[in-house]
This record gives sequence, C-alpha cells and structure tokens, in this order.
Amino acid sequence: MENLEEKLSGKKFWQELVKGILVTNPVFVLVLGLCPTLAVTTSVNNALGMGAGVIFVLLCSNAIISLIRKVTPNMVRIPVFIVVIASFVTVLSLLFEAYIPPLYESLGIYLPLIVVNCIILGRAEVFASKNSVLLSIADGIGSGIGFTLALVLISFLREVLGTGSLVIFGRQLFSIPVLSASPLSIFIMPPGAFIIIALLMAFFRLVGVLKYE
Amino acid sequence: MAGRGNKKIGARIMDGKFYPVIFLAVIVFVAVILLMFVSKITEEKILEQREAKIVAQLKNIFTDMDKYELKDDIYIITKNNETIGYTFIAKGRGYGGEISTLVGLDTDLSIRQIAVISNTETPGLGTRITLTAFTDQFKGLKSADVVLSKNGGKVDAITGATISSTAVTDSVKKELEKKLEIIKKNNY
Repeated sequence: MENLEEKLSGKKFWQELVKGILVTNPVFVLVLGLCPTLAVTTSVNNALGMGAGVIFVLLCSNAIISLIRKVTPNMVRIPVFIVVIASFVTVLSLLFEAYIPPLYESLGIYLPLIVVNCIILGRAEVFASKNSVLLSIADGIGSGIGFTLALVLISFLREVLGTGSLVIFGRQLFSIPVLSASPLSIFIMPPGAFIIIALLMAFFRLVGVLKYE
Repeated sequence: MAGRGNKKIGARIMDGKFYPVIFLAVIVFVAVILLMFVSKITEEKILEQREAKIVAQLKNIFTDMDKYELKDDIYIITKNNETIGYTFIAKGRGYGGEISTLVGLDTDLSIRQIAVISNTETPGLGTRITLTAFTDQFKGLKSADVVLSKNGGKVDAITGATISSTAVTDSVKKELEKKLEIIKKNNY
C-alpha cells in the first residue's frame, strides 16, 4: 500500500531517476558499456553527442519494452528487446545524418553500435521488463544521464590533458599555454582512457560519492 | 491479468503454441513500418546534405569556381566556361571502414588540395586524417610523391593512425593514376 502511495505521489519517479545517476551509475558502479565509453571519450563534444543518443534510445526502448512487458512471451523477450532497441538506434542514426551531419560523422561507427551497448539491454532486462512505464522512463532518463555525466567527466579530463585545450561545438573554450604546446597525448590514446576511468573509480570509492550496494 | 481457471480471451491467446513466433513477427513488422516511415522523411534531407557537402567541398578546393560537370566520375571544374581543374573521389579501406577522399587537381595535373569527406575511423585518432595538418601535405604533389615518407614519399603518417594515413595515401595515389589516364586520353 505504501508503495502505491509513493508511486502516485511521484516520489518514486524521482527516486528511480536519481538512482540511475548515482547508485547504479552505468559506468562507475555497474561498469557497463565500457567499449563506447573508452572509444568516444576523446572529446567532450563526442561525449555529449553519444550521451544524448543513449538517453534518447534508453528512454524510448525502456518505455516501449515496459509497455509490452505483460504480453511479451518470456521465450522471445531478448529478440524483442533487440528489435525495439535496434529500431530506435536506426531512427536516431537517420535523424543525426539528416539534421546534425558533423556529429554523425564524428561519432562514426559508435552510433550504430549503441544497439549492442549493454547498458540499454541491461536496463530493459533488469528494469523495464518488470516495472511500470512511468518508472521505466525515469530509470531510462536516470541511467542515460548517469552515462552521459560519466562520459563528459572522462572526456573532459582526457581532452584537456591530451590536447591542452577544450573545443565544444567547434568553438575553443580555453587553451592551457604550456600543455597545448606539448600535450600528454597518451590520454587521448586508448591507454589514457583506462587510466582515467580507473583513477575516477578509485576516487569515487574513496570519497564515497556514489553509493555502492 | 486473468486468474487460473477463469481465463480471458487475451490469456488464452497468450498460451497458444505459436504465440511467441506471432508476437515477434508483429514486433518486427511494426519496427519495419516505423523505419520505412522515418527513412522516407529523412531521405531527401540526407541526399541534400550529401550533395551540399560535395559542392561545399568543391568550393573549398576551387574558391572561384562557378560550375562543375561530372564525367567518368571526374568533376570538371569550370570558371567562365574555362576548365580550371579536376576533382574526383578516392576510396580506400581504413581501420574502421571506408574512407572517401576528395582530390582536387590543377590544370598541370598536380594535386591542388585533398579533403577527407567521409570516414568511420576511431574518433580522436584516425579521424585526424581530416585535419589540414595532414591533408595540406598533399598540396602540389605529383602522383610519384604520393607515398608515405617511411616508404620514400612526401607524406608523413599521423602518430597512432598509421592505417588510416596509409589508406588515404594509397587510395589517393591509385585513383590519381587511374584518373590521369582518363583525363589525358579524353583530353578533358
């Protein structure tokens, strides 16, 4: 009964939303979707584009999967999830190519690869297939924002350390004099991504910003 | 949901042997309809973007051009009805897929400029082939010099993106030799 009241008051909605960002942050806590995380965090620009794409797909796929959860046969649930997710990714990819071609180009292969991003399938299986549409939407937005924040944080450190400057939407925000002359290019390369992610995880464990269950 | 013993029609359908197959087919059907719809809406815009990109890129290489004509996959650039250069697209296989490069030639058949117009290389690494730091190296080169410097040519590969650099250089060289023959043979 208490559960129902909470749901009606909308409190649960915000709880699920915040949970995706902090308690079950896809990158730092669940350690899911590391492949795109490592690959697109070479610039803040790409991280924002990828994040927006993942939020869109997570939101749509969670809503639809939750909507059909009671009529989806258990036996074919994974193929159904994949079809739903792949459809939204294709829609996103077409929209990006038609309306934001520069972003479409810079994300390259990682845009279609959102299909196999385990965060999205993970949320479908763990959450959307068992909860109401409203809560699934909250979970989708929360996890999406959590993923985006993680990407932006990692890419900010990688771009600044690796190139000595920060460029967003084609505009240079700042440039560090000594660093931009001789940047620490290892941070732009794949090993740099591992180092940054590991350091951030260790940091979050130390200060306990993210609650581990 | 209907309880046991008092099954509603919906529940009876769901217990059917072929229900999973039918359900999946319906989902796929709906997905196909949705995708056809979105593809139809965006198709024109996407083609427009691609065409606009080619013209914009041609203008990058030949700022004073006023017309172009497409013959044998060669864009013949004209100004006041006089040929001022040639442009063609070279395609090569990079690290993450196909790389298309637009190559502009002066009338003396040396390279005026190149521009990478599409690639699916690793963001931040292979995608650096699109930067002028790399593409400007091709300026003024004749086909014999379009070779990576480690192999005796005049193009320096990008650190950490050797495969992408090689793909651009090799595809430009190969296509350039082919197109030079066509241009000379047909006297464009």
